[in-house]
Amino acid sequence: MHEFGAQLANGLALGAIYALIALGYTMVYGIVELINFAHGDVYTFGSFITLVILTALGITGEAHGVLLVVAVVVALLGSALACGVLAILIERVAYRPLRNAPRLAPLITAIGVSFILENALQLWKGPAPITVPALIPNPRFLGGTFSLAQVSVIVLAVVTMFALQFLVHRTRLGMQMRAVAQDRDAAALVGIDANRTIALTFLIAGALAGIAGMASGVYYQSTWFLNGFGAGLKSFTAAVLGGIGNIAGAMLGGFCIGLLEAFTSATIGGQWANVAVFTVLIAVLVIRPNGLLGTNLPDKL
Amino acid sequence: MRIRALFSLSLALLSCGLVACGTSSQSSSSSSPASKTITLGVDLPLSGADSSVGDSTLNGVKLAVEQANKMGLPGGFTIVVNAIDDAVQGVHSPQQGASNMRTFVADPSVLAVIGPYNSNVAQAQIPISNAAPLLQIGPSVVSDGLTIGAAARALRRTNPDTISFFRVCTTDAHQGSAAARFAMKLGWKRAYVVDDNETYGLDLANVFDRDFSKSGGTILGHDHLAKSQQDFSALLTKIAATKPDVIFFGGVTSTGGGLMKQQMARAGLAKVPFLGGDGLPDIATAIGKAADGTYYTLAAPNVEKLASAKTFVKQYTARFHAPVGAYSANAYAATLVAIDAIKRALAANANALPTRASVIAQAAKTNALSTPIGRISFDANGDVKNPVVSLYEIKNGQATFLDQQFF
Repeated sequence: MHEFGAQLANGLALGAIYALIALGYTMVYGIVELINFAHGDVYTFGSFITLVILTALGITGEAHGVLLVVAVVVALLGSALACGVLAILIERVAYRPLRNAPRLAPLITAIGVSFILENALQLWKGPAPITVPALIPNPRFLGGTFSLAQVSVIVLAVVTMFALQFLVHRTRLGMQMRAVAQDRDAAALVGIDANRTIALTFLIAGALAGIAGMASGVYYQSTWFLNGFGAGLKSFTAAVLGGIGNIAGAMLGGFCIGLLEAFTSATIGGQWANVAVFTVLIAVLVIRPNGLLGTNLPDKL
Repeated sequence: MRIRALFSLSLALLSCGLVACGTSSQSSSSSSPASKTITLGVDLPLSGADSSVGDSTLNGVKLAVEQANKMGLPGGFTIVVNAIDDAVQGVHSPQQGASNMRTFVADPSVLAVIGPYNSNVAQAQIPISNAAPLLQIGPSVVSDGLTIGAAARALRRTNPDTISFFRVCTTDAHQGSAAARFAMKLGWKRAYVVDDNETYGLDLANVFDRDFSKSGGTILGHDHLAKSQQDFSALLTKIAATKPDVIFFGGVTSTGGGLMKQQMARAGLAKVPFLGGDGLPDIATAIGKAADGTYYTLAAPNVEKLASAKTFVKQYTARFHAPVGAYSANAYAATLVAIDAIKRALAANANALPTRASVIAQAAKTNALSTPIGRISFDANGDVKNPVVSLYEIKNGQATFLDQQFF
């Protein structure tokens, strides 16, 4: 029973990281129908920035008290901001000029940006995995099953999702985003600056990747330049599984994949984890082609 | 329709990821026609997670070649090194290794190849070097099936009776048995075995598994990792519940060894020893202090204990201003074997460029060649006679020699 609880914690924490990345895929896809393949690498960038910030604060291991709070806040905000700015830059340079090009074109530039980022990150921190300070102390809750780091990651993901839901459905910016997603020209006619709205969407998606990068760096205590390749692919799968364009769907998809991976590793064996994930994905898509919660895309006329 | 497009795109991205980035660090000068150069091909992982060990292995080759050139070869030949990276996207790749071997075979100035570092790369390369046939010497590849039995014969499918692949290290069988014996000697009775599902790791883990239970130990479980696995929490939680005395890892630092060891502390396994083979010597470089408590075997004698190695260590550190890597001495020895064979082949051919076949024939006749890792002779399979396995422990991020076994 204790082991089951611990595996539940492992799966939820892993799923929370997938979910945070998946939210970014889903936001961008929702508004410009682009699979932003560079998103995974923005997430890697976030973990690198976290490492830089923690090093600057002089943190090499677990932190306590005020220092812990300051470090978490600064690292979260810092990497969210840095990744948000990076995402805006990517959008401005590689996607906006192709706004009216055939849909394959920005997709290829997305793959190109992904490779450029990976190589830039490799030049920056070298080709080998890098250690990130543990930062979060390791007390355990609920009969020792959940660690503080796991609880933090899960809470962070859920809070972020609700904030995002609120933003998209209850604020002026959210309304503009939905308008641009539905019909960019009509939105422009009623005075919405579509380019600005799309840029802000990228900022938010990038910031989410930054938050995920910070969380995973601290949780796994390591990162490397290709970190976002596998995680990005899994998270993208999570977004599709939940229903792309659907914020709650991305979260649900992320947790499903995380739990599946953890319990497959715990029972059948780790080498089957990916097989299990993709088998379930195929099964779900055959029955519900729009994902678990349905896609949430505007109807194009 | 959209979903299907997404799928094929993610596939497309995956295959993009597999597109090679093999880079040549030094090009050979095979273009000049009557050139007096002989090229030594080197295939190692020189980028990505294996690069620290790849670079120090390449340095061993460079040192031997520089010394040989300084002394001069018969007929006024000089040797140049053409080192090609076999890592793609940061991980050693059998496909890239095979493509590198084809590059070497196509270059007539290449008379021998040193490498690779990883057994699955060797599996992809041996059929190509055997078909040429071209002398290939592995400094560190320990999988049994590369030289022994039907598996090795299948790799030599073109010329089954020509042994063109030799290695200066010992085999998984010896290493796995030695690890099992070391574990018993250190009083570890209950082991959990994990491997990376690659040629080298799986072989090693299976031998350990078999020998450890044969000598009275309990195997609590045996799991395999997925490729590029990053999250080990589920596996480690499961292992922690079995309360092992030791975790045996079959694999290398880059295929999960480093990340798994790093995550052990948080899973309540901080005090459990992490034992593995010669895939782990670079673990302290990868994860620093978190590597403490790692024990690993090397398919080589302890270099610092051998008188013949002292000179090598001195020359190596003077030349590269870096500590000797785990397989630097092996690479140096493999290169000495190749150069020695080339020299004898030159002498037998009136100091003109010898054929590849004659270089192979001379390599097989290597007789107690003095190297920093002992005197080298080969058996009928191309393996060294009198192998040695040594055991190290990582303390405060430093490898400490513990014990060695002779077979």
